[in-house]
Amino acid sequence: MADGETSTAVSGEAAEGALAYLTEMSPDLRGAAILAGDGAVLAASGDANRWREDAATLFEVADRGSEPVEQVHIGTEQGEVFALRHAGLAAVAVTDRFALASLSFFDMRAVLRDLAAGRPLSTFDVSEDVKSPKRRMGRKADGA
Amino acid sequence: MAPKPHRVLLDRVSGYADEAAAYMRRRRASRRPFARLYYAGGRAEDHATDSATGGELFVAAGRLIELAGKRPKS
Repeated sequence: MADGETSTAVSGEAAEGALAYLTEMSPDLRGAAILAGDGAVLAASGDANRWREDAATLFEVADRGSEPVEQVHIGTEQGEVFALRHAGLAAVAVTDRFALASLSFFDMRAVLRDLAAGRPLSTFDVSEDVKSPKRRMGRKADGA
Repeated sequence: MAPKPHRVLLDRVSGYADEAAAYMRRRRASRRPFARLYYAGGRAEDHATDSATGGELFVAAGRLIELAGKRPKS
């Protein structure tokens, strides 16, 4: 990782909570994943293996320059991709077109910072069923 | 002396045309695909769609967009 390692191991449960929080915070978000420093997926809003592969490809291409990349922002007609490395973790998010870039990066950075700092899960209080990414995935699968 | 009426009309039409052209320019600029990489220290790089790295970045982004799918309606 470009900016150091996490001080504590991040649990999948905490990452799921962080992802749910990020999803709730960003109305433009279509999907996202939180990855460990080694590229393993800690939480994802869909097929974790695909997120791992596709995020690894994105970072691999982006890192071909003189130094490791910190943020990636790609805008296409179909949507926008944000990728961020922070505190030994990485987050990749896909949003609708014209999402506010600074706000998206701010939210992603805040989530990774709190996650890396090992804040208690209550920080990401997602007890309400509506905030669960699994429920959102289910909704997507149902086509509702 | 007050300007001649037809000049006022011409100025107004020309103003509307300028506004429309500016709108089209902004729209074109905002719809253009882009790939930006940011490094520690605030350095940023733009990669054109027809560059080698830019092309690969757009392919990788396209896969992620496809993976995320459409946003579920709430």
